[in-house]
Amino acid sequence: MTLTTCLILSAALFSVGLYGLLTRRHAVGILLSIEVMANAANLNFVAFAHYGGASWGQAFALFVLGLTVAEVAIGLALVMLLFRSHKDVLVDLANAFKH
Amino acid sequence: MTLFAWLSSILVAVIVLTVTAFGLWWERKLAGRMQSRLGPTIVGPIGLFQPIADLLKLVQKEPIIPQRADRALFWLAPPLTTLFALLVAALVPFGPKLAPANIDVGVPLIIALGGLALIPVWMAGWASHNKYALLGAMRAVAQSVSYGVPLVLTALVPVILAGSMNLNSIVAWQHRHHWLVVWPVFLGLPAFILFILAMLAEANRIPFDIPEAESELVAGVSTEYTGMHFGFIYLAEYVHTLVGSAVASTLFLGGWDGPFGPSVLWMVLKTCLLFSVLYWLRWSLVRLRADQLMALAWKWLVPAGLALVLLAAVWTQTPWGR
Amino acid sequence: MTFTATMIVFALVGALAFVGSIFTVRSSKLVHAVLWLGVTLGMTAILFVQLGAPFLAGIQLLLYVGGVMTLMIFGVLLTKRDGDSELKTEEPSRERGALIALAVFAVLAGTIWLGRDALQRTAVPSLGTGWLGTSLLTRHLVAFEALSALLLAAMIGAIVIARRRDPDQPSEPKES
Repeated sequence: MTLTTCLILSAALFSVGLYGLLTRRHAVGILLSIEVMANAANLNFVAFAHYGGASWGQAFALFVLGLTVAEVAIGLALVMLLFRSHKDVLVDLANAFKH
Repeated sequence: MTLFAWLSSILVAVIVLTVTAFGLWWERKLAGRMQSRLGPTIVGPIGLFQPIADLLKLVQKEPIIPQRADRALFWLAPPLTTLFALLVAALVPFGPKLAPANIDVGVPLIIALGGLALIPVWMAGWASHNKYALLGAMRAVAQSVSYGVPLVLTALVPVILAGSMNLNSIVAWQHRHHWLVVWPVFLGLPAFILFILAMLAEANRIPFDIPEAESELVAGVSTEYTGMHFGFIYLAEYVHTLVGSAVASTLFLGGWDGPFGPSVLWMVLKTCLLFSVLYWLRWSLVRLRADQLMALAWKWLVPAGLALVLLAAVWTQTPWGR
Repeated sequence: MTFTATMIVFALVGALAFVGSIFTVRSSKLVHAVLWLGVTLGMTAILFVQLGAPFLAGIQLLLYVGGVMTLMIFGVLLTKRDGDSELKTEEPSRERGALIALAVFAVLAGTIWLGRDALQRTAVPSLGTGWLGTSLLTRHLVAFEALSALLLAAMIGAIVIARRRDPDQPSEPKES
């Protein structure tokens, strides 16, 4: 386990999340992919904190955790709204400012 | 890991499993007496081997999987429920040296693992492809999310007072000062009661067992389960209560601290006593309605927990709390 | 290069995290995707412990697996479409998505590979949870307070958005 392997793993997780973000149409699926990406970013912060030079990495990772939780709350609220107005949650249905 | 660490882990596992097996018998005996019955008497002296007989019976039964069930999840969920409930036990200190995982972040990890136990319960309900099971599962999720908040808040009270998230340090602090329910009593006692309530709700026990309310939901998440799978779900709930009692004793009742004798005995004694009280509650109280449950969590327990955290923080700044 | 227990654990846990993430984005059943996300996040928590951040691991389990995953489960089940019990997801541009993701990975991995000499760092012992807490309330106080303000705003926003009702639907029955 070195910094390089941690970074490679994190890059792989990030790319997988990106793939999901690009291919999912279901809104909750997109949220899941974003979680994977945020998680990969967090892994980077913690790895850099562990391998010297960035002692505040853990604090930053905590902030990311808080941010993603807020993002999920808002995201799911929007999903509920989308479902209520369209009876479906495919994101390409959300193409109007006002319904 | 040193040899001592291995030995202590094995010892703790033995303690937990023994107490569990004995506790199953104790629960049925206690329940029987409370309802003017004798409880188990046939198998072994005063029915002591009844849990073993139950286990043999459950293992022999045919596991039935509903046709439209999600097979993988259906199989996986019950053992996972027991596993997660048992994982928490590894973090509880049974003596000054007898703590398998003596880590600095014991309190958050214990609460996290306890909350994790909910996921397999939900998996079981969803995989069953049965509307009663799914309803039970959704109730379990809503309940656990709501009661997790007061659980964290009340567990923060000992953390703030002892100035540590290490469970062993919290017990050591109580050893040096007082057990938390004794002093400061206006903080310790309400926090203890709130913690017990929230813990009962997380373990889905009466008066908070709406996920498996048998009068409305057949048997909730365990509706479709038979044989050993049902056994696992039953065992998990049971271990959850037992380990919850151990955690509550550690946080509020001084854990392994006692006036004389070996510390392990005190810990086991406190846990069993608390466990019996919880069973006493179980056989005396009635179930809350789903909406009453939510109202209790969000309108009473969460504000009370917040107030307690604030009070604890203020108390540490007063001359008596230093 | 000798194989130590730490490396084996890292390899296993990392592989599981990666497999979990693949299934998270590829599962046709969204419920399975949520559970696989739980696997990925849990494995990352174990990696956090290995990287000297046990507190973060605990918070990760508590917040993500305990909170976010249950919220996601609600999100999936409450938005179930009629006549589609499987919650199948359609994937319109699988090849393009894979291509872009691979390209991004190639760039990232290439960059890491080019800088591998600069990344030869030795692990430093963690400064501990106490230090983390102190730094949150001293050095990072502004960010910390901003985050709490953001969480409050997100909470209020989520309630406002989710409570908006259709005009044709009857309003929620009053609590008796």
